[in-house]
Amino acid sequence: MAKKGLKNLTQRNTFMWGWILVLPTVIGLVVLNLYPMLSTIFQSFFKTGDFGRGNTFVGLSNYSKLFKDKSFILSIGNTLKYTIIEVPISIIISLVLAQLLNGKIKGKDIYRTIFFLPMVVAPAAIAMVWKWMYNSEFGLINNIFHISVNWISSPSIAIFSIAFIGIWSDIGYNMILFIAGLQEVPTDYYEAADIDGASGFRKFYNITIPMISPMIFFVVVTRVLAALKVFDFIYMIISRANPALEKTQSLVYLFYTSAFVENEYGYSSAIVVVLLLIILLITALQLIGQKKWVHYN
Amino acid sequence: MRKIISLFLVISLSATMVFASGNSEKEASKTSSNDETVSVMIWDPNQEAGIKEILADFTTETGIKTDIQIVSWNEYWTLLEASAKSNDLPDVFWMHANSALKYMENDLLLDVTDKIAQSDKIDINNYYEDITELYSLDGKNYALPKDIDTIALWYNKTYFDEAGLAYPTDDWTWDELIENAKELTKSDGSVYGFTLKNDNGQGGWFNMINDANGYVISDDKKTSGLDNPNTLKGMETMQKLLDAKVMPSQEIMSESEADVLLGSGKVAMATFGSWMLSAFKQNEYISQNCDVARLPKDATTGRQSSVYNGLGWAISANTPREDSAWKVVEYLSTKEAQIKQANLGVTMSAYKGTSDGWVNCAPNFNLQAYIDMQDDMVMFPNSKSGVKWNNAIYDCMKEAWMGQITVEEACIKGANEMNAIIAEE
Repeated sequence: MAKKGLKNLTQRNTFMWGWILVLPTVIGLVVLNLYPMLSTIFQSFFKTGDFGRGNTFVGLSNYSKLFKDKSFILSIGNTLKYTIIEVPISIIISLVLAQLLNGKIKGKDIYRTIFFLPMVVAPAAIAMVWKWMYNSEFGLINNIFHISVNWISSPSIAIFSIAFIGIWSDIGYNMILFIAGLQEVPTDYYEAADIDGASGFRKFYNITIPMISPMIFFVVVTRVLAALKVFDFIYMIISRANPALEKTQSLVYLFYTSAFVENEYGYSSAIVVVLLLIILLITALQLIGQKKWVHYN
Repeated sequence: MRKIISLFLVISLSATMVFASGNSEKEASKTSSNDETVSVMIWDPNQEAGIKEILADFTTETGIKTDIQIVSWNEYWTLLEASAKSNDLPDVFWMHANSALKYMENDLLLDVTDKIAQSDKIDINNYYEDITELYSLDGKNYALPKDIDTIALWYNKTYFDEAGLAYPTDDWTWDELIENAKELTKSDGSVYGFTLKNDNGQGGWFNMINDANGYVISDDKKTSGLDNPNTLKGMETMQKLLDAKVMPSQEIMSESEADVLLGSGKVAMATFGSWMLSAFKQNEYISQNCDVARLPKDATTGRQSSVYNGLGWAISANTPREDSAWKVVEYLSTKEAQIKQANLGVTMSAYKGTSDGWVNCAPNFNLQAYIDMQDDMVMFPNSKSGVKWNNAIYDCMKEAWMGQITVEEACIKGANEMNAIIAEE
C-alpha cells in the first residue's frame, strides 16, 4: 500500500509539472487562437460598422451573400487548384531529393543547405524577387530566353507560376523532414532486398515509402493546411488591376481584401469560417484515409 | 507543492512588475511636456526627405522631437484602421479625401477649430478653401491643409524628336493626343504611345469626364454620374484610346506602373499628378528625356480641367501629447514651412501664393503646366465609402480595358454598383 501511495504521489507530481510546463503554450493558444477564432465565428453573423462600432446582427445573410458572389466561388476553386498542384509536386520532388541526399554524395551538406535556403527567407522577399523575374517586360526569365510570356498576368498560367514559387520554397523544408525519416529506416531491410535481387526503384517503393509513411503523412497534412491558407505570394504578386486576379485569388486573399481594404469585417469573417470548414473537412478525410496507407510499425 | 506555489508567486510578481512599469511609463508621458516625441505617419517615401528636413527645423525651434514613419499607401490605410480600432493612432498623420469623412464622423480626429482660432500663426483663409473643406464637418476643422495637386501630361522628348513630331502644346485636344500616340507606337511593341491604367481615375479618365461636363459623383454625393450622358461622351475618348491600340496591354500595365514604363522608355506619354515630381526629379532617364505639358482639352466643350485634391495634417483625437502634436501641425502649416515644402519640391503647398518656389525647384521641367491646370479644377470625387466604390468602378473599367465589354457598358455597370454602395453609407 505504501509503495502504491508513493507511486501515486509521483504520478500526481508529474501530472502537475506537466501542466505547469505546457501552461504558457495553452494560455497562448487560448488567447491568440481560440478566442479570436470564436469571435470571428460570432462576427460572421453581423454587419460591422466603421471601426468595429455599431455592429448589427444580420443572421446568415453574410453567408447567403457569399454563395452568390462569383469571385468567392472562383477563389475556392483557385485555392483547391493551388493545393492540388503545389502539395503533390513539392512532396514528390523533395522525397526524391531526400533519397539522393541521404546517400553517400560528396558535398551533400552543401546541397542540403542550398535546398533549405528558401525556407529561411521571408515569403514577402521571395515574392518580390519572383515578381521581378516573372515580369513580362523587364523580367529575367523572358529576357534570358527571349520570349514574351505573361507569367503572372495571363489568367491561364498565373496560378501555375505562383504554385511554382510555392513548390520552390517548400522543397527544402519537406526534404529535411524526409531525410530525418529516412535515417530511421534500418539498413537490414535493404540488405535483405539486395539478396533477393530487388531493383533500386522497387526498394524505394516497397521499403522506403512504407517505412517513412508516417513522416509523409505528417508532411502532407501540414502542407495541405499551409497551401489552403496561401496568401503572401498572391498578395505580393497579383494586384487588383491584374487580369489574372479572378483566376488566382485565394480565399485568404479575398478575405484580406474584404476585411482590410473594404472594411467589411462581418462578410470577411464569413469567408474564413467557410475556409475553416473546408480545412476541417479535408483534414478529417486525411485522418480517415491514413489507415489505408500509413504504417506505424 | 511548495515549489509550485513559489513558482506561481515568482511568475505573478514579475508579471505585475512588468505591467506596472508599463503603466508608469504611460503616466509619465501624459504629464511631462518636455522631452517627448511626437509620432508622425505618412505614406509617400518620395516626400520623406523633405518632410524630415522641415521637421528638423521644427525640433530646433521648439525642442519637441518627432519620429516619422513611412508606410506604403496600401498598408497605410490597413494600419491606420487597425490603430484606430485599438485606440492607438499615431499623434500626427496624413488624411486623404477618400477616408476623411469616415474618420471625422467617428470622432477619431482632433477638432482643431479652436486651436486655429487662437493661433497667431494660422489664418485658415490663406489655404485653398476646397481642401480645408475636405477636412471639415459641421463647421469644424479636423485637419490643416498640407498640399494641393493637379494632373498634367508627361512626354518623352526623345521619342517625339525621333518621330519628327512637335511636342504637346498647351491647347492639344484629346484627339490630337491619340493621333500622336499612334505615330509614337512602334509596331514591334518596344514603345507605346501612351499609358493609362484602369485604376487611374484621378490622374486619368476622371479628367476626360470633367472636360465633357460630366461628373463622377453628384454634388450632394448621393448618386453616381458615370451613366450621365456627358460622362459617357467624355469616356468616348477612352474608348478611342483603347481601340487605337496605342497603350500596353492590361497585362503589362498591371505588372509595371506608369512611372516605371515612362522611366524605362517603354511609353512615350503618360499623365501624372504633381506629387510624382519628387520621384521624377531623382530619375536620371526622366530628367534627361522627358518634360511636362498641360493635359489635353475636350474638342467640343473646350474645357481643359484637372482633378485636384490635397492632403491634410490630422491629429489623433486620443493623443496623450495634444499640445505638442498641435505645435507640429501648426508649424507644418505656417507660411514659412509651406514655402519650404514647395521650394524643396516636396509638393505644391496648400498655402496660396507659394507656387513660384515649386515651379523653380526643377528647372529642366516645365512645371508651370501644373500651375496652369489650376485654371479649371474639379474636386477629387469623394464620399464616405469612396474607397469601396472607387475599387468597384475600377473593376468595371478593367473589363473594358481588357476588351470584354465596351467603355460605355463599363460606365453603366459601374454607375449601378456605385449607387448601390452609396445607398449603404
